[in-house]
This record gives sequence, C-alpha cells and structure tokens, in this order.
Amino acid sequence: MSPDILEDAMELWFGPQHVSAHGWATKLTLVGDYVVECDPNAGYFHRSAEKVLEYKNFRQGALILERMCMLEAFLAEYPYVAAVEKIAEIEVPERAKVMRTIMMEMSRLHSIQFWWGQFNAELGFFTMALWPWVDREYSLDAFEELTGSRHTVSYSTPGGVKYDFTEKSMKQLNRALDRFEDRLPKFRDMQMGSPTFRARTENIGLYDVKQGLKWGLSGPPMKACGIPMDLRKDDPDPNLAYDMVDWEVPITENPEHPGQSDALDRMEQRFAEAETACEIIKQLIPQIPEGPIIDPKARGKANRLPEGEAYARVEGTRGITTLWLKTQDKAQTAYRAKIRGPCIASYYALKDLVPGSKFADFIVIFGSLDPYPGWWDR
Amino acid sequence: MGFFSVLGDFFQILKHTFRQVFKRPFTYFYPFEDREYPERTRGRHIHVRKSCTACAQCVRICPVVAIRMDKEDKKYEKDCALYFDYTRCVFCGLCVQACKFEALFHTPVVDMSEGDREDLIYGPEKIETLDREPLKWRGRRFR
Ligand code: SF4
Ligand code: SF4
Repeated sequence: MSPDILEDAMELWFGPQHVSAHGWATKLTLVGDYVVECDPNAGYFHRSAEKVLEYKNFRQGALILERMCMLEAFLAEYPYVAAVEKIAEIEVPERAKVMRTIMMEMSRLHSIQFWWGQFNAELGFFTMALWPWVDREYSLDAFEELTGSRHTVSYSTPGGVKYDFTEKSMKQLNRALDRFEDRLPKFRDMQMGSPTFRARTENIGLYDVKQGLKWGLSGPPMKACGIPMDLRKDDPDPNLAYDMVDWEVPITENPEHPGQSDALDRMEQRFAEAETACEIIKQLIPQIPEGPIIDPKARGKANRLPEGEAYARVEGTRGITTLWLKTQDKAQTAYRAKIRGPCIASYYALKDLVPGSKFADFIVIFGSLDPYPGWWDR
Repeated sequence: MGFFSVLGDFFQILKHTFRQVFKRPFTYFYPFEDREYPERTRGRHIHVRKSCTACAQCVRICPVVAIRMDKEDKKYEKDCALYFDYTRCVFCGLCVQACKFEALFHTPVVDMSEGDREDLIYGPEKIETLDREPLKWRGRRFR
C-alpha cells in the first residue's frame, strides 16, 4: 500500500459500543468507502472462564462452559463433561446418550434460528429477522419445559443428564420441531428469492478451502466450501448416539465458484445444517431406550478425580469446540483447563478477509461467519 | 399495475388489519397477568425446615457461594437456618439436587425485584414461606 493512499485514511472503531457489536471491538482503517485494514481486538468480553474453572469442582464446571455461549448451551457444556468422564472413567447409560444427542441437536437448531434472525437484522432485513425468532421461542419453550430454564440449561452432568423427558416436554419438543420443519422451505424461498439479500451477499467475503484451513476455520464456514468435515462423522464420540442415525454431512457446493464460499453459500449451509439437525432428532426420538438417565456411581467418582489428562471435542454450531483438562491426584478441582472455541479462528480470519471490501460489507462478512464473543474471550 | 389491482391490495391489507383487531393479543399485560411457568422452573427456593438435617450439602455444592448457614438457629431438632443471597444465585439447581432430605425446592416464582440490595438476601423467615401462590397472585385477569 502506498503511503499517499493512507494519508487520508480514517480510523474507525466498530464496537465495543456499537449495537451489533455485542462485546467485541474491531479497528477498521477506511479510505473512502473501502476498508484497507482490519484489526480484530479480542478481550472486551473477557470473563476469565479458564481461571474460574480451576476453582470449581467437577460438577460445577459445566455451568461455566454453558455460559461461554448461551445460544448453544447444550453443546457448549458437553466438552467439559466428556473430559471429566474420560478421566474418571465413568460409564454413561444408553438412555442418557440418546437424550444428550437429541438436546445437542436441538441446541444447534436454536442457535441457527437465532443467528439467522440476527444476520438478517444486521443486514436491515427485519421481517426475516423476526420470523425465525418466533420459531426460536418454541425451541426455548421446549428447553424450559425439560430443564426449567430457557438459556442456562445445566443439563449434562458427569455420568448422564439431570432431567428426564416428560410427556409434556416431549410434546413441546415435537411442536417446536414440526413447526420449524413446516416453515423452513417457505422461509428458505423467501430468503433466497429476495433480490436485495442476494445482491448484498453474493461474492461477498469469498475465500477458498486453502485459506480456510490456514485460518483454522471449522464447521459451517468450511462445509460451505464443499468440504465434508464434521466431527460427528469423522470421530464419533462413544458417549453420543450419532451412530444410531442414518445421515449425511450437509455441504454446500456452488457451481459458480467451486471450492470457495461467499456469504450466500454460508447462509445456504446453515439451512442444510438445520435440516440435518431436524432429521437426526426425528430419527432419534423413537429410538430412546428405557433405563436410568444417570450412572448412580458417577456422583461419587466425580467428587475426586485421579491424576490425568483428557482432551474432549464436539462439533458445535460454529465449528469444533475443544477442551483440555488436567487434574492432579485426588483433585477436587481442575489443575488447568484450556478451552478452544471455534470463533477465535473466524474472528481473526477477518484480518485477511475484510481488507478490499466496502465498509457496508464488513458486517455481512462478519455475520456470515457467525462469531460469538464468548468463544474467543475465555 | 392498474388502479383496481392497487385497490385490491389495499382491501387485502384492510382485511388483515380488521382480523387482527378482534384477535387475542400475543403479549401479556405483564404486572397483572403472566404466563404459566413449567413445573421444573428454577425460580426462588423454598426451604422446608422440618425435614432439613443441617447436612450443608447445599452450601458446599453452590458454585457461587449464595447460601449461608446458621447452625445455631434451631426450630426443630436437627435443622438450621439458611440465608439465600439472590444477588449472587444463578439458579443452577445444584443445591436442590444435592439435598437428599427433600428440604429444598425451587418454586416457579421468578420475579423478585426489590428496591434495596439488602432485601434480596432472603433470611429464614422469607425463604421458608411463599408470600404468594406462584400462579394466582396477580389479581384480576384482563382477558
Ligand atoms: S440455585 Fe445454584 S446458585 Fe442458586 S443457591 Fe442453589 S446452588 Fe447456589
Ligand atoms: S436444605 Fe437439604 S442439603 Fe441443605 S442443609 Fe438442609 S438437608 Fe442439607
């Protein structure tokens, strides 16, 4: 960049007070209407989650994790629970495995419904923002009926789950699912058929597989390039029930730019993800086995853990979420926990992805990667 | 677009407007009426002192140290007084699960605003009684 261009450049902070910047701040350098430099700044949402985990015992720890990302609370708390189960060698009953999987997929659905509305709100397409949020209410009702809380569900615990399905919660779950499945094709037509929406997202934020891998992206941003990378298929967790279901990894391939993805492809990918989640839940509900929901010995085992190390990961809504846990002998709390959220990669990808695009497209690129600040400020 | 098609659209909109006027509103007239909360709602607690054994499991499991215990204060043989600090509580439900003597429960009362911080620390006399029925306290219903 020649220095004369930068002479009349303007520095602009996007966030932390901006309404669609919920807790993040990005420094943009603008020349006219174009962004020439983008500098993402993490740290405005820092809550010391990793340090707090060193002071909480193994039954309390999952509560911290679910607060990292409340939109996918069932998915977010799972890596911690899985790591504790690995170190303490706790067996999980079959029924709990299936129930966990159902609720994790439901959580994915909820997160997509929320993101979908939020993305449209950021684009100024407010009608399409409110409609998925109506369906989201039904998902939240199902969570509330099952666990007693709408967001901070505190559902998984070492050795199983805390709350059993009741007749009423099953009814709420089916209602949320049926309603969304019914309305999804209609919404999809409305969204994809909108010329304004297409004009704002087509060929915006274009990157290819190689760049994506370099930045460390995972989940929907990579699957939108046509790469079927999904932990649920590639490395199935023995404590979850994905092997009981017949499903395909959803991918999006755009013939106009194969191996690349733009904001529109990433939108398509979210629809495909939602459809797959519905399919998995629909297949799992009739297969719920009878039995206990929690291993009765788990509580005692989780009180004091032997010395060990465990690494657990799960395919979250935004990508791969991992947690590394180290304990000392007869430990009541973790010696060290390290969280790697999926969004740290997609947030810092903006550094290479945004320069050269218009300022108005910044929020489109940012929104299409679906970052959540809780995942990069740990 | 002809004049009549615009007029047709106009009447369509009017039809929808009129239909909405006679429908039930989707919102609640909040302070006076509220939705029904599910049975498992994790609202404020209620402490049944008669069955409490002062085992302190609830105090130990609480991740945010919201419960304080006073063992000296005895009403029955083995019980104790509990103080709940609702400026700290995150309504995780761990204390209720930890209690093995059926002495601690959640209630569906979730609106607990107070004018003073101190009033949110529920002492024994407040935590042992429900000052109102969770669903039937709001007086007259508007629809
Ligand atoms: S609900 Fe959770 S935070 Fe509140 S008092 Fe009980 S254990 Fe503590
Ligand atoms: S309320 Fe339950 S857990 Fe708490 S001290 Fe009493 S008996 Fe123990």
